Amino acid sequence: MEFAGKMISLVVLLVVPFVVLGDSCLSPEVKAETYTTTEAIVSTETVFIVQFTLTCKNKVRDMNLYADINGRTLPVTKTDKPDLYQVSISDDHKKLSSGKYEVRLYDEEGYSMLRKAQRSGESVDSVKPVTSITFNHPGVSKGPFVQSEFVAVVIAVLVWYFAYSTRSQLQSSN
Amino acid sequence: MALTEGDDPLYGSGSGFSKILLVRHVDYFPLLNTGLLAARRKMKLWVLAVLISFAGYSLSEEENVARLLASKNVLNQYLVEGRDLTVQYTIFNIGGSAALDVNLKEESFPEQDFEVVKGNLNVKWERIAPGTNVSHVVVLRPLQFGYFNFTAAEVSYKPSENAASAVVGFTSAPGEGGIVGSKDFDRKFSPHVLDWLVFAIMTLPSLTIPFLLFYRSKSRYDTPKPKKN
Repeated sequence: MEFAGKMISLVVLLVVPFVVLGDSCLSPEVKAETYTTTEAIVSTETVFIVQFTLTCKNKVRDMNLYADINGRTLPVTKTDKPDLYQVSISDDHKKLSSGKYEVRLYDEEGYSMLRKAQRSGESVDSVKPVTSITFNHPGVSKGPFVQSEFVAVVIAVLVWYFAYSTRSQLQSSN
Repeated sequence: MALTEGDDPLYGSGSGFSKILLVRHVDYFPLLNTGLLAARRKMKLWVLAVLISFAGYSLSEEENVARLLASKNVLNQYLVEGRDLTVQYTIFNIGGSAALDVNLKEESFPEQDFEVVKGNLNVKWERIAPGTNVSHVVVLRPLQFGYFNFTAAEVSYKPSENAASAVVGFTSAPGEGGIVGSKDFDRKFSPHVLDWLVFAIMTLPSLTIPFLLFYRSKSRYDTPKPKKN
């Protein structure tokens, strides 16, 4: 009887932590694919799309996540595929310049703590995210730096100048 | 001849004969006309009060339901075959309470004409708070050129927690757009480096042949000239 009691209490002790932490993600694993706009001629705004799968050891599905990217907090979009989420932002080309960006993901509790910290003016870094994804934006290309027609004109002018100066040299020396 | 508000209560708007009558009429009953005007004003106020309370009542109904407006934009200056086409969906909640179980379904891009580069066409949000908006971006690549009609995507949501069924709505439709073929776009916008190189090579004969002739004759007949000084 004593042994049974001990077993029960041991099982309860092992299970209770998982029950209490039922909603939060334990040892999250993230696999992310990102897309950033590369051509400014064709697109009017720069767009970042971060598509990621987040799996937790405790098999929490369909989580309500919030992302903090570039100072903006927004809810994470859920897709019809399990564990696949998407974060997308769009802005002017000038506002989303090239460089490294970090997406911090928060669950419900983390998000409410983040909002509290923002409201009270505390540092946002004190709230620990579930996980974070970093990606690099190589920048948008606005076309070649120098137009090829410009280069052709410059070369033509140089050739003409060389020919003209040689001719005038020859004529003057005659 | 009924008196309207704009008329002078003493003389009315009629001709001479009726004017006399009116004057008499007004003289005998000086307070009647002012009474009529006041009554009309009172009625107008009543009507206005009823309308305002009705509007207030119907607006207060909105406090407890969510209303979503969804827009779909194509963030492209040029639609080119084989280059990225960015579609942005924004959903605004203009109602008084949170919209629950919001689903966005995009089915207007056929698989054989558009390839999904990044993003998902069927997405959902658990909850959109009142007065906030969410946005979603999908990047596609057109596989064919020609005219394409960008139609609306479908949004469904529950306007309140105990709503019986989901409300289905549509996003705005960007309309018809022309997808330019990749050859035509390149003809206009690519740097044409190869074309310029070929042009340079083709102009070389007309430049080098005279130069070679000159150089040959110069090297054959050139005698070192004595310096003048």
